[in-house]
Parts: sequence; C-alpha cells; structure tokens
Amino acid sequence: MEKIHLEYPAQQPAARATHVGVVGSGDLEVLAEPGESGKTVIDIRTSVDGSGPVWTAQLARLFAAGRLPAVKLEINDFGATPGVVQMRIAQALEEIGHA
Amino acid sequence: MRKDRPHAHDLVWCDSPAALDAGAAGLPDWARECWHAGLPLVVRRAPLVGGLLPVGLRGPQRSQRHPAHVRLDRVIRRVTPQDVARARGWRGHPRLDSVPPLQALIAIAPWLDDWGVDWGITGATGFELASGHLALRRDSDLDLTLRCPQPLDRAEAQQQFALLQSAPCRIDIQLETPHGAVALAEWLRGGRCLLKTDLGPLLVGDPWQAAADQEIAS
Repeated sequence: MEKIHLEYPAQQPAARATHVGVVGSGDLEVLAEPGESGKTVIDIRTSVDGSGPVWTAQLARLFAAGRLPAVKLEINDFGATPGVVQMRIAQALEEIGHA
Repeated sequence: MRKDRPHAHDLVWCDSPAALDAGAAGLPDWARECWHAGLPLVVRRAPLVGGLLPVGLRGPQRSQRHPAHVRLDRVIRRVTPQDVARARGWRGHPRLDSVPPLQALIAIAPWLDDWGVDWGITGATGFELASGHLALRRDSDLDLTLRCPQPLDRAEAQQQFALLQSAPCRIDIQLETPHGAVALAEWLRGGRCLLKTDLGPLLVGDPWQAAADQEIAS
C-alpha cells in the first residue's frame, strides 16, 4: 500500500460531488468533491508499491496546466491500467460538471 | 485441449521458458528469479496477434506482475476459471483454516450453484487452486467471474450480491459478456459502467450491447 499526495493549480470549484468506479482488481474508485478555489488536491492510495512516479506523471498531464475546476479527489487504486485510470478520472470530471 | 482461443483469466502452461516473449526490455529481475515453466501464466485481456497470446507473469509480491506473450502453439495446458470452480479444490485444502477466500468458497459455492450462473474463480485464489503454488494471503480478496452471454436478471442479481456480502472476505465479481467484462457492483448501481475489452476500457450504458459508438481510452 502506497499513499501519494498531489496538489495542482485550478479554476473555480467544481459544481458537485461524485463517486465513480469500484473497489476491485484492475479498477479504481474516485471520490470527487468541489475543492477550494484555485487549488486541486489529490490523495491516492494504491495497492501497487512503487507506482508513485507513474501516477504523478499521468495526473500532471491532466491537472498541471491548471485549466480544470478545483476538486478534491480521493483515489483508491487496485492495480488499474493507465487506460482505466484515464477513463475513470475523465468520468469523474464529467460528472462533477466539466464536460 | 480445447481449440478455441484462451480467454482473459484462463491459466496456461507452456512447454519451456523459451516459448515466452518478454519483448525488447526482457523480464524484470524478480521474474527471471522466480518464474519457471511449471508455473501458469494468466491470460490477459488483449488481442491475439501473430499467434502470440497476451499473458501476465505473477510473482509472490502484489507488485510483481509482468505482461508478456507466449506462443499459442507452445501452450500445453489450459485451465479456465470455471474448471477451477468445478474442481472444488477448497474442500479439505490445507490452508482452509487460515485463508478467508477459501472459507468464503465453502459458504458461497452452493449459493452460486443454486443461482444457476456459470461461475469461475480468478485472481490469487484461482491461481493457487489451479497450480498448487501459494498465491493467497490472509488479506486476499476472492475474485470471481460469471460467464453471461445474456443479461442477468437485475433483481435476482441484486439479491445474490447482497447475500455474497456476508462472506468472510471481500468478493469481486466480474460479469463476462460477449463484449468484455464489467464489475457486477458497478452494473447494479445503474448508469454507465466500465467495460474491459480486448482493445481497452470503454464506458458503456449496456455491457451486453456492442459499443461501436464508444470511445476507447488510449
């Protein structure tokens, strides 16, 4: 079990909260709620030790530019592939009001 | 041996380590140290290209998983998750007292049989029961797969799902539809669900409908 904490610049808070994904091998669950204006905070708990750099790189591609609404994301990862991670985060962002 | 293409989660054995293609990067250190042809490979959900079957190697640690390919013509044995379930290997298993997923199977196998679904065992439990090699840990989940050519009855599935929550460990159930696999828990929640296909994950409304209009994640 590894814990990763990331923070990025962001826009106004997201419109609403959501919960996507499931607890289970090869998947992940994402709990998203509106964040503090201008700041996105992401906490990841992953079953894959040593996956910190992969997570950091993948999330930086999405969030580092600071163009997305401010969210607080809690991610519980059970060994999801990068494709599944990308789809689940996109699904969460869509549901909190960023299409 | 059956002649159809092995499916995701099937366990396959090859005749020699030379049948394994680990790609340009080769195998990681742990795999070179602990993998041998006596251990099964786990078929991955990916396309079969040029007679090369996508498989994964499994090491003793949770982080030790590595994708590779094996030449299909060098596969000498195959065990499906359904074969593992039918063999009832948890009965009288030497580790039954210490491993919750095996205890869970004692309780839930009759329920799944009564439900009438074509169920199988994957993950660490399937690996250990099929191969005799230790893979289960005290905190392992029980991973199950249900072959569902037709949609399940949702009310009945909901009832069975609730019953399965009383098992002594967490149970992860995937439904295998003609188009890919979806988590039972997510399908029961309603709305879109993530369908794992040979070409990658898709978000779909109905996992039993071909999802040509859906976007595949890179």
